[in-house]
Amino acid sequence: MKILYTFFVCLFLVSFTNAQERFLTKKGMISFFSETPIENIEAQNNQVLSIVDASSGKMAIAILMKSFMFKKALMQEHFNENYVESDKFPKATFKGDIMDFDNITTSEITLAIKGNLTMHGKTKEITIEAVTKKTDEVIEMTGNFFINLSDFDVKIPSVVKNNISEKIKVSFRLYHKTYKK
Amino acid sequence: MKKISIYILIIGLIGVCIGYKMYNKPHINVAEKPVDIALTATILLADFSSNETSANAKYLDKIIAVKGMVTTIEFDGEKAAISLQTKDDFGSVVCYLTKEEFKKSTEIKEGQEVVLKGICTGFLMDVILVKCIIMNSK
Repeated sequence: MKILYTFFVCLFLVSFTNAQERFLTKKGMISFFSETPIENIEAQNNQVLSIVDASSGKMAIAILMKSFMFKKALMQEHFNENYVESDKFPKATFKGDIMDFDNITTSEITLAIKGNLTMHGKTKEITIEAVTKKTDEVIEMTGNFFINLSDFDVKIPSVVKNNISEKIKVSFRLYHKTYKK
Repeated sequence: MKKISIYILIIGLIGVCIGYKMYNKPHINVAEKPVDIALTATILLADFSSNETSANAKYLDKIIAVKGMVTTIEFDGEKAAISLQTKDDFGSVVCYLTKEEFKKSTEIKEGQEVVLKGICTGFLMDVILVKCIIMNSK
């Protein structure tokens, strides 16, 4: 299974070394924000891998949960150990289709992306709106959306229930460039 | 009776202090921590690409000193990412420097051999190390 997976990844990579329609970033930014009257919690991940296939309008994102950096070390520890269990589920992924991808231009427009978000071992279909623009070398996407912790089976102990919002705001900024080795 | 309430107050105060200290616990200072594992970029990537699950168990959250040749240095504002060459054509080891270390990154040139120390967060296309510091650069 592992070998098969690696093989497909290699195939995937090989296929877009000579195709100009693939756009990629390894340094995308995804952050999340939880707002409650007691405290605000914020974390940022600057090592987001995201790939857009301009010929089909499909996109795929993968992130490492341990790459989320918090202001407070204790929050980061709780996040990894108790909430998202990043030892068990080290990654979160998103695979989706960009709706009306043909409408993309060099000026900013809002497009919907429909796909599956997998995190903490749970998968949920979501639709995200993203402000996008495309030139020959760059596809830029920014936006934000909300996720419910209960959809991903993230349990918050009752002691800190008032400190963590059930709805989490996720923001992203992805600056894809044409892939060249 | 009065004595007891004073004791309770003192214990309570100590509790609050400890709680507050824990709440404000500082982040790991990579520079001060001893190295858990020292190896080359090629071996590190090979371990992840051959068996990611066992490599995750072995390397995640560990302080790693990785040696390799610099292929690219990319800057983005106050962030710098150094990619190290491996024998693998597709993947590499990418080390993200701390803000403090950012100033030193100008001393490093492409093609140079370096040892970088940081925390491993996992493997996407590349093995990723964060909060890196430059240990030596000849």
